[in-house]
Amino acid sequence: MIGRRNFIAALLAGSVVPRLSWADAGSPAILGAAREGDGGYALFGIAADGGDCFRIPLPARGHAAAAHPSAPEAVAFARSPGRFAVVLNCVTGEVLTRLVAPEGRHFYGHGTFIAGGDILCTSENDFGTGQGRIGLWSRSKGWRRVGEIPTHGVGPHEIKHLPGDVLVAANGGYRNHPDRPGVKLDVPEMRPNLAYVSPDGELLEKVELDKDLHLNSIRHIALGRDGLVAFGMQWQGDPALGMPLMGLHRRGEAAVLDRMPVYEAVAMRGYVGSIAFDAERRRVAISSPRGGRVQVFDDTGRHLRAIEREDVCGIAPATRGFFLSDGLGGLMRAGEELHPLAKHRGRAWDHHLVPVMV
Amino acid sequence: MRLPDLALVSLTALAPLPAMAGVTEAIREHILPAVEDFSVAAGDLAKTAADDCTAETLRPAYRQAFDAWMGLSHLSFGPLETDGRALAIEFWPDPRGMVARTVAGMTADADPVVDDPESFPEVSVAGRGLMALERLLYDHALSGYGAGDYNCRYAMAISADLSRMAGEILADWREHAELMRTAGAEGNARYMSESEASQVLYTALLTTIEFDADQRLGRPMGSFDRPRPTRAEAWRSDRPLRNITLSLKALRGLAVTLSDDPIPVTEAAFDRALATAGALDDPLLSGVETPQGRLKVEILQQQIRAVGDATRAEIGGGLGLSAGFNSRDGD
Repeated sequence: MIGRRNFIAALLAGSVVPRLSWADAGSPAILGAAREGDGGYALFGIAADGGDCFRIPLPARGHAAAAHPSAPEAVAFARSPGRFAVVLNCVTGEVLTRLVAPEGRHFYGHGTFIAGGDILCTSENDFGTGQGRIGLWSRSKGWRRVGEIPTHGVGPHEIKHLPGDVLVAANGGYRNHPDRPGVKLDVPEMRPNLAYVSPDGELLEKVELDKDLHLNSIRHIALGRDGLVAFGMQWQGDPALGMPLMGLHRRGEAAVLDRMPVYEAVAMRGYVGSIAFDAERRRVAISSPRGGRVQVFDDTGRHLRAIEREDVCGIAPATRGFFLSDGLGGLMRAGEELHPLAKHRGRAWDHHLVPVMV
Repeated sequence: MRLPDLALVSLTALAPLPAMAGVTEAIREHILPAVEDFSVAAGDLAKTAADDCTAETLRPAYRQAFDAWMGLSHLSFGPLETDGRALAIEFWPDPRGMVARTVAGMTADADPVVDDPESFPEVSVAGRGLMALERLLYDHALSGYGAGDYNCRYAMAISADLSRMAGEILADWREHAELMRTAGAEGNARYMSESEASQVLYTALLTTIEFDADQRLGRPMGSFDRPRPTRAEAWRSDRPLRNITLSLKALRGLAVTLSDDPIPVTEAAFDRALATAGALDDPLLSGVETPQGRLKVEILQQQIRAVGDATRAEIGGGLGLSAGFNSRDGD
């Protein structure tokens, strides 16, 4: 109904093309990719109560998506090292375009919109040199690639943007090569960092952790209040060491690392698959599918609680809590307690849940 | 015409659901007996220590408690994971040497917390449990204490704490068993569908098979150029091979109860690995330092990995379960 009203309103406003909104796609709160019972893959729009808003088939296993800030469009990325991403109209389900990484580049599986939604930024690898790149694609120019800037590090994974379109890149530190999918190169020499980069590619600030943490690959990012950046890490050494796996950083300050009880740190098996703040941006959560655990912290890194859930990985902000998804098809809301929202037989939610901002 | 229909309906209602049959059997015949055994053994340890906490008296009760622990240590979810109980009971692997450091700190400061059962559970998990107790009972620099000495009271406190945790695990498991039996029922937030209960047991089974191969054997094996026999689990109390044998026996018990169908390939794989472990005349796995000894340990490791392959094919395939859509994937 709302969709139709918007449609009419757009016509009355005299637009040549009626402008669609996320309401026309059923007002999803989050997007998530999944494998389905028949072995195929799809991107789902999910309402706050856990119900499906839409389902769009994907050509291959997804990793994460980027939701356009206002138009009901999503970019679905294949798993790294993919060379393709698809831009989807979430109202009609049609593929608007396929983004193809240029020669010598592959996608790392994440992206974010800047310039009011006109420029899509994609994390990429220049696999000849191993240097991280952010590809820039213009929506208004038919999704043409309009440039690229450096991430100022190796192996970027998730990228986000702060107010003023300052990009934050998690440079994981190790290299990949499309000829050797799944193989991490140069791990002993890795130097991961968190880099703040202007849209024209200038390095504004670079955060590196202590040398004894250089095997801690910085891979995922969530944004808190007042420029607070939370980052999730994957430890490339012995998981039994129970190293810190979450850090908090604000520009101009030193990074603060999590304070988890040693048994929770060990239970995470050195791996964070996803990170998110709650809707109030007071608490931050990290997930480990390998440990079947979510750890919740306050915004100073103090540990609040652990949630046990098999193969849990996707996390997205919810009011006073988090949406969680797992490889068993479960979708939950974690506030003070864990509330099941939906369980889809045969559906396996992939690594990330992405919030839709409206 | 009506009668057969009714009969069919009631039969269907009575038949256990496929995924649940194995879970119920695993709880009744494998899990609860193991949890009860451990609570008895840990209780005996605490009683023994309360009477006489000297090392010589305590060692047999310690061995019994550790044996019993191997019967349930693979149930790494729910009751064992609450408040980090599994690590508080056995802090291993310990690549930082935290047990040594924490025990040394406790004894050097003669920390009075050992005389306060209310506060002792707040001691770091590395300073509690079987591995800390092993230091006090088997490390010659520490084990020569007399009745009334600090180390004696520390050993008593660890034993009482183990008994307390074992009792809590027993109480929690009785509740958790009900959650697993009612998997998929309305209001069960822990197990959202029937198959989730078998999935959790299946994951625990596979994870521990890998743990036996990669950690219990892999850590002392180190690399060919640098074997690390003193990284073996509980080597001071002669337990490295014994723990692997006991773990495999426990896992075999879980596998047999969990599966609804016969699992001849998996059972044969378990028996092969157990026979190899039984014939291995190397309780400390110190043979990893010689080429011949290392080869024998490597064969055992391969056979344990073969147990994993058989489990995936026979039990995972049979129950329609697979391990880790996300946990086996990167990024």
